[in-house]
Amino acid sequence: MTNLVFLVPLLPLIGFLLNGLLNNKISKNLAAAIGVLSVAGSFAIAAGIFLQSFHESSASHTIQYCTWLKAGSLTIPFEFLVDHLSMLFMLIITGVGLLIHIYSAGYMHDDDGFNRFFAYLNLFMFSMLMLVLGANYVMMFVGWEGVGLCSYLLIGFWYKNQEYNSAAKKAFIMNRIGDLGFLAGMFLMFSHFGSLSFAEVFEKAKAFSTNDTAIVGITLLLFIGACGKSAQIPLFTWLPDAMAGPTPVSALIHAATMVTAGIYMIARSNVLYTLAPTTLKVILVVGVFTALLGSFIALTQKDIKKVLAYSTVSQLGYMFIALGLGNYNAAVFHVMTHAFFKALLFLGAGSVIHAMSGEQDIFKMGGLRKHLPITNITFFIATLAISGFPLLSGFFSKDEIFVAALSYSPLLWLPISILFFLTPFYMFRLYFLTFYGEYRGTQEQMDHLHESPQIMTIPLMILAVLSVVGGWINASLFNIHGLEHFLEPVFRNYTLPFSSEGNEILEYGLAAVSLVVVIYLIWLTNNVFAKKEAENLAEEDMSFLQKLSYNKFYVDELYAFLIQKPLDWISEKTYEFIEVSGIDQIVNGTGSFVGWSSNTLRKLQTGHIGFYLFAMVFGIIMILVLNFII
Amino acid sequence: MTVLVLLSVLGLITLFSGFSSDKKLPIYLGIVGLAVVLGFNFMGWDLAHNAYNMVVADNYSIAFTTIMTFSTIFILFLLPDFSEKVEVPLAEITSLLLFTLFGAYLMVSYSNLVMLFIGIEILSISLYILAGSKKSNTASNEAAMKYFLMGSFATGFLLFGITLIYGATGSFDLGTIKTFVTDHAADTSTLLLVGVILMLIGLAFKISAAPFHFWAPDVYQGSPSLVTGFMATVVKTAGIAAFFKLFYTCFIPLADSWRTTIWVMAALTMTIGNITALYQTTFKRMLAYSSIAHAGYLLLALLALNNLSATAILYYATAYSLATIASFAVLITVHQAKQSHSLDSFKGLAKNNPFLAVMATIALCSLAGIPPLAGFFAKFYLFSAVIKEHFYWIVVIAVLNSCVGIFYYFRIIVNMFSPTAEQETIEVSSLYKMVIFVCIILSLVLGLLPDLILRCNL
Repeated sequence: MTNLVFLVPLLPLIGFLLNGLLNNKISKNLAAAIGVLSVAGSFAIAAGIFLQSFHESSASHTIQYCTWLKAGSLTIPFEFLVDHLSMLFMLIITGVGLLIHIYSAGYMHDDDGFNRFFAYLNLFMFSMLMLVLGANYVMMFVGWEGVGLCSYLLIGFWYKNQEYNSAAKKAFIMNRIGDLGFLAGMFLMFSHFGSLSFAEVFEKAKAFSTNDTAIVGITLLLFIGACGKSAQIPLFTWLPDAMAGPTPVSALIHAATMVTAGIYMIARSNVLYTLAPTTLKVILVVGVFTALLGSFIALTQKDIKKVLAYSTVSQLGYMFIALGLGNYNAAVFHVMTHAFFKALLFLGAGSVIHAMSGEQDIFKMGGLRKHLPITNITFFIATLAISGFPLLSGFFSKDEIFVAALSYSPLLWLPISILFFLTPFYMFRLYFLTFYGEYRGTQEQMDHLHESPQIMTIPLMILAVLSVVGGWINASLFNIHGLEHFLEPVFRNYTLPFSSEGNEILEYGLAAVSLVVVIYLIWLTNNVFAKKEAENLAEEDMSFLQKLSYNKFYVDELYAFLIQKPLDWISEKTYEFIEVSGIDQIVNGTGSFVGWSSNTLRKLQTGHIGFYLFAMVFGIIMILVLNFII
Repeated sequence: MTVLVLLSVLGLITLFSGFSSDKKLPIYLGIVGLAVVLGFNFMGWDLAHNAYNMVVADNYSIAFTTIMTFSTIFILFLLPDFSEKVEVPLAEITSLLLFTLFGAYLMVSYSNLVMLFIGIEILSISLYILAGSKKSNTASNEAAMKYFLMGSFATGFLLFGITLIYGATGSFDLGTIKTFVTDHAADTSTLLLVGVILMLIGLAFKISAAPFHFWAPDVYQGSPSLVTGFMATVVKTAGIAAFFKLFYTCFIPLADSWRTTIWVMAALTMTIGNITALYQTTFKRMLAYSSIAHAGYLLLALLALNNLSATAILYYATAYSLATIASFAVLITVHQAKQSHSLDSFKGLAKNNPFLAVMATIALCSLAGIPPLAGFFAKFYLFSAVIKEHFYWIVVIAVLNSCVGIFYYFRIIVNMFSPTAEQETIEVSSLYKMVIFVCIILSLVLGLLPDLILRCNL
């Protein structure tokens, strides 16, 4: 089965080529079939590989196909690494991807660019799978760039809207900054290890001492790349804008898979990161502040997708906290559960937007539970899951992170636990405003209200089930360590600094506390946002903190002031003084000079043979004189 | 030796086949005959057959003769549908082309200066007639006359040079001269040096290097286009191959005394060729100047004189010949439709005949040296050979010149793709289509797989 792994990315690639090349020549149904079936095929193979791995003695296979690049001492083979980490990601990507492909067939049905949409989605699947399957940093980088491109294409999918195009460009440029870090990291890595293959680099890294400058440099640079892709401070501002893309895209790319690429990359490089505690501290700090910022901004947003986007930013922050604590397991575990419930939330939001004829402002919704029963229930489950309601998936994965934090220092644990309770608050605010209370939309929208077709609700239901049970794979509270054991071969050199064994009482206590707090918050938000008339504050009426949150901490404005304005100024001045009055003059001058010489030289060709002979003799005399007399 | 005999007999047969009622028979005979000659030629690979110390069929000569034969075959394929009014029977044209080729064969296979001289003369005299083959056209007559006058003048110098070298070394034989030069490297006589310089001048004239290039634009423009194409490819290849062979074999020990001359000559030739080409208003004359410019690049190989330069010339000559033949085929086709060689007649070609426009674009890109076409790698290998010998400035000049070249090649491309009010279909005969297509494909293949030629062991 492992031999078939090349099919996993190949099938979506074929799907992309078919849909992309045949674009408008095939019917929407056929395009959807190609898109869905290619991913289904990949999923089946990924599942096969996963199931087979339980019967295999060796946990990691590197499958080398050919030499891809060769230049001097640099050899980059085209090789796939199939180990438990990439298997897990493969399953998440193809599994969630498959559900979202199916959902999209319904969601996008009336769109003119339907076939193009599926082509892009398939290309994304291909790139993302290359990213996780590549057995060296260069192949990972190819996938890394590929998903960036697809993200750009899909954010700007409705390219006739100029704002969406700007959002797409913003995402691309922010990612570029990160990519530069990634590239520089690879260069530095190559100069120190002489190789970019995972196996070789990790083997040679063992010779380095902890906190070696080279390792810290490499890991920091790679982390900048991760910041761009996974929307961490300071490169997070693109993710909320990326919501311009169609909602399934937000679910797949900007929640479940692509944005977790940074976490995958760091988890994959765990050998290096464990050697660089300094970098881990940086990651921890960045993670904490990103989680804080994301949750805080999410509190006051009015756009249903923006709330979810900032929630994603903060959840990614938690994952980075886990990485920063050196607990790669917890990070990967949270990636997985987050993929389930965040994809579900986005798809649910999509279902709501679909029903509300494109409306995204939650203050213009309300009372939708009667009209969208399935969406309502599934959305509620996802909201509970993300809020860490005990025994649902989110509870177990965030619990892992908190246990790790507690073992690191109670001083870290306390603030982030309190911080975490912002999540149920903004999530239930969103939920109650959307599904409870009075209907606040227009009559026209009211008439169109309808539950989404089955092709959209079935993926919702499947994801809801996963959001409920997905956490039990590693319910350490009940001594289930499935995922931990599964990933052990990858994170082998990492030993848990803190074992939860023997601390059951503490853990049960924490679980009880979080149960109480979440229920209290549900009751509170229900009172504030569902029972009473929802208070849609205009910006002028907001308190300072509300304003700060509503305006996203003015980060965009800050960047505009600090970076964009000076760059614009420099650009303008360079244009005026260097381009127009400098380079242009030189270039045009060269052109006119050459033209003038041509016109002059041309006249030498008189057509008179006498002159030609004279010129020839003159030339001969010159040659002889210069050679022999002088 | 067999090859030479075969080729000259082939020339005679085609000449006499002119009595046949089928006017195109000589051409087909010529093509088939050349294919046979090619086969025999190949059989000598790696054998280095030496005939009476006069001609030697080593890999160097076999490689170059092969290219020239291929070029001639292409030209012959273009001959049946050649539209310009040539008032000489096709049989005579064909056999003259073959005799020229025979001269070219001698010019790359000689191992004796007499053979070189005879080769050059056979080649030149046939060419004088070919240049004037549009009998009632004054431009053609003028071309033949100018070529003849200036050619005889240059031949004088060449012969004088050979004589002086004979006087100094006592031999016409390349091997003997080489030994003599090597033995007397320390105390070279002025007699010998003057001889070398005079031979250099005579050969520089043949490849139209500045300041001996003045004949080229007028002759190229006046001659029938097909003959011009032949001169630009086969004759130029033969000239540079003969030039390189002589200096590479015999005169490396004296390099200090003639290198500067070559350096200046190369710089001048490139610059004059490229710069003057800018202002030309007809495609044909522009190609003439471009051909002068390419002679300048080729002269660089004589500066390098290392193991890379022979293959570099071979590759360059191949790439250049392919692109030039395709360009001339396009030129002839367009001329037939518009009765003009002017650059303006290319306007709207992309719309009227996309095939022709795309092929011409590729050919011109190859001439301009745009990757991944053969023309780019040709320049690349040639320049690398020179850089290896630490001649940096001349390469800088060459690269700057290439930039100028891009301007005038692309002017035609721009013309072809710019709109025009005229809507007319341009007929392309299937033979022309085939030759153009094959040349372009080969340009691409050689660009992608330069090893096909570079691995030749010359």
